[in-house]
Amino acid sequence: MARSPALLLLALAACSPRPPAGGVSITDDWGRTVALGAPARRVVSLSPSSTEILFAIGAGPRVVGRTRWDDYPPAARAVADVGDGLAPNVEAVAALRPDLVVLYASASNRAAVRGLAALRIPVAVLKLDLAADVGRAAYRLGVLTGTVAGADSVMAGFADSLRALAARVARRPGPRPRVYVDVQASPPITVGTGSYLSELLAAAGAANAFGDVGLPSAPVSLETIARRDPDAVLVLAADTLHPPDPAVRPGWRAVRAVREGRVLAVDGGLYGRPGPRMPLAAADLARRLARLGAGAGAAR
Amino acid sequence: MRRPATPALFLALVAAALVAALLGVALGAAPIAPGELLRALVGRGSGTAAGILWSLRLPRVVLGFVVGGVLAVAGAALQALVRNPLADPYLLGLSGGAGLGAVVALALGVVSAWALPAAAFAGALAAVVVVYRLGVVAGGALDSRILLLAGVVVGAFAGALLSGLLAVSEAVQVKTATLWLMGGLGGVGWIGVAALAAYATPALAVLVAEARALNLLSLGEEPAQHLGADVARTKRRVYVAASLLAAASVASAGMVGFVGLVVPHAVRLVKGHDHRVLLPAAFLLGGTFLVLADTLARTAFAPLELPVGVVTAVVGVPVFALLLRRWTSR
Amino acid sequence: MDLAVISAQGGPRAGGAKDGSGAGSDASGAVFELSGAVVRYGALAPAVDAVSLCVRRGECVAVVGPNGAGKTTLLRALLGLVPCAAGRALALGRDAHQWPRDALARAVGVVAQREEPAFPVTVREAVEMGRYPHLGPWRAMGAADREAVDRAMRRADVTDLGGRWVATLSGGEWQRVRIARALAQEPQALVLDEPTASLDLKHEMELFELVADLVRRDRLAALVVSHHINVAARFADRLVLLAAGRVVADDVPARVLEPARLAEVFGWPVAVQHLPDGTPQLYPERRTPPREPHP
Repeated sequence: MARSPALLLLALAACSPRPPAGGVSITDDWGRTVALGAPARRVVSLSPSSTEILFAIGAGPRVVGRTRWDDYPPAARAVADVGDGLAPNVEAVAALRPDLVVLYASASNRAAVRGLAALRIPVAVLKLDLAADVGRAAYRLGVLTGTVAGADSVMAGFADSLRALAARVARRPGPRPRVYVDVQASPPITVGTGSYLSELLAAAGAANAFGDVGLPSAPVSLETIARRDPDAVLVLAADTLHPPDPAVRPGWRAVRAVREGRVLAVDGGLYGRPGPRMPLAAADLARRLARLGAGAGAAR
Repeated sequence: MRRPATPALFLALVAAALVAALLGVALGAAPIAPGELLRALVGRGSGTAAGILWSLRLPRVVLGFVVGGVLAVAGAALQALVRNPLADPYLLGLSGGAGLGAVVALALGVVSAWALPAAAFAGALAAVVVVYRLGVVAGGALDSRILLLAGVVVGAFAGALLSGLLAVSEAVQVKTATLWLMGGLGGVGWIGVAALAAYATPALAVLVAEARALNLLSLGEEPAQHLGADVARTKRRVYVAASLLAAASVASAGMVGFVGLVVPHAVRLVKGHDHRVLLPAAFLLGGTFLVLADTLARTAFAPLELPVGVVTAVVGVPVFALLLRRWTSR
Repeated sequence: MDLAVISAQGGPRAGGAKDGSGAGSDASGAVFELSGAVVRYGALAPAVDAVSLCVRRGECVAVVGPNGAGKTTLLRALLGLVPCAAGRALALGRDAHQWPRDALARAVGVVAQREEPAFPVTVREAVEMGRYPHLGPWRAMGAADREAVDRAMRRADVTDLGGRWVATLSGGEWQRVRIARALAQEPQALVLDEPTASLDLKHEMELFELVADLVRRDRLAALVVSHHINVAARFADRLVLLAAGRVVADDVPARVLEPARLAEVFGWPVAVQHLPDGTPQLYPERRTPPREPHP
């Protein structure tokens, strides 16, 4: 009688999905179990954030494919480019013979998941929209590539830097600067709470001029921007040598920050992606805001 | 103008279809040598090549045939129904309804794999029903001109709602919706293809059965009645069958334009208006056209994949202009 | 004479087809029959008001009358295209509205008023469409069908037009082609709505000669609606004069073409002359005198 529960447990254990010995397994953000017989050696990473993470945790040499938008670190540029990360070309990915493909969690990647599954290529779908997602993704990518130690150390540094920054900005006198984040010029689109950029602002000790907007991003009117009178305008630029200038856009001179030249043009790649460089971006932003506050005049 | 004999025409079309299928299977973003391709075809190829061939390219080619053929047949039938050469399967409000259904599903963040096609199909059907109700005049008969107007109006309304939704959506969602709306044949496995084929067959049969009635209908509704056509019944059946076909194709492949509009005219220019020949020939030509367009979409800028709807329009517009010139210079 | 309603029911000709139960013409050969038929469009005054009429095999009946008299509506009622608010409309002994369209097309050939060839077809293809009621949706044309088409084209004298595009035909040729199509249906009756409206003298006479020949030799029933009373009077066995939806007269042309009655119906003074063979012909009087010829 006493053996029956044990047998039952054994039987149950035998039925549950388990990676083979030496194998690794995680659950991705679409609830799928990703089980590999051995840590992945040929990874195709189809989002800039996951590519950055892979290189940061030490799995860079294992990355054999990336999207055309993945430009950091510089070593990533040497990796084969397979096109877009949204609705990617499954054939091109398959041609690289990967043993793991990392996809960004978006409905447009459903077809790719199906296609890769039909080819029996393991796929991990990761959500990388907010700061909290970075740690979770890093850990799981570490498991899948056998670089958990690297992941742990990167995330420890990540957390430490953010804590230190938080302490610094807390010591600053005066109210928090209110920043308008310029995502798109016309029609003007900005970010609300629940977006990564909003979190970045908070980490840098700033407040989002449109923090009352619940959506991750929303179109707003120029009038409202002018009325809210942000202390600074943050423009994400692909090319920081020739960034877009809000002052030349018709009507934008109604915004005081634009008139007074308090426009910060920053690298879109550094600021726009949730990734291991978040503390760097936040610190950079905090520094620039401090310089803006220290004196009149643009801090470009 | 001499017309080719019917058997010769169909032989040529079948040959073209086979060539298109061959190209569709042989070309792609991953280069596969012809020898490896042949081995994979007979089941002895390497894993990657066989997987790409059987799981990616073949279902895509078959889907392209079915969707292209179905759209062309639906377009030809609808052009006869509303006696307007500019009719295409999406004109009757379908495209707006399908797009709206799909974007609503995206906006709600529904995650199930079949959610998007099902939502698009539901949206298309809703539009079809509304347009049908609007197009029915006193006595229960479908009025072709009102049908056209109703389709345009419903499509515009749905399109406006769609734009509104996209305006307040996330950038990623917008891109997803846009890509879907522009049409794409990827991501439908063998099951989806089989489902579409099984679903489309009865509707195609209905349209072929009404082929003679459609011939009569193009004489005008009264002459058609005098020659024995049950005009009210024919209009109803053709409208429902063509709409169902278009709705299913939109649900599977997004909006693939121009096939339903241009292919029937191309066949008519060569072979005339007898729907008993026109409908099957349009099916073959439409399928061939779409498979070729999709192959081009996949390979022109590899590894970037153009939406197939873009290719059909870019190729379709000059072809249509050419047809128009030949037509008006008769 | 005032516009008394003269019902053909009372006359000696309209016997026999009272029960109208079976399909097909009965012993007296009545192909079309209206008894007391009333047709209304919406809530307006009736377009056809208590009309009784009978057309048999081997006879040609012409329906004449001013614009808006209800001639086309009468045809529609006989073909079951509009329902009767009261009374009955029978085709081959059966309620016209109940006929399935393809069955009726096997019995009655209709040449409607106007038909725009919507797309390019050859004459032969157009005439072949007349076989559709016999073929249904699936059956291909067989030898018998092709023979019927050949016969019809011979009868309507369009055989040598066979390969021509319909859009290149003259008005008269197109009318004959449409008659050939109607004949290809192998009907028992022909219904023609203003068949000579846009035809010149030669083609008009040709068409009526053809219809008369079909009635006489092939024993078809012919119902012709026409504005051209004089020509109709020369070829029809009976004239039915319609005014404001009612039958004013239904008799041989000699008895229908009475000046006083015609003047009242058409609202214009007319006089009647006779041709050498005795056929009456009306001519409208002028109000203004003709101009004097210059010296």
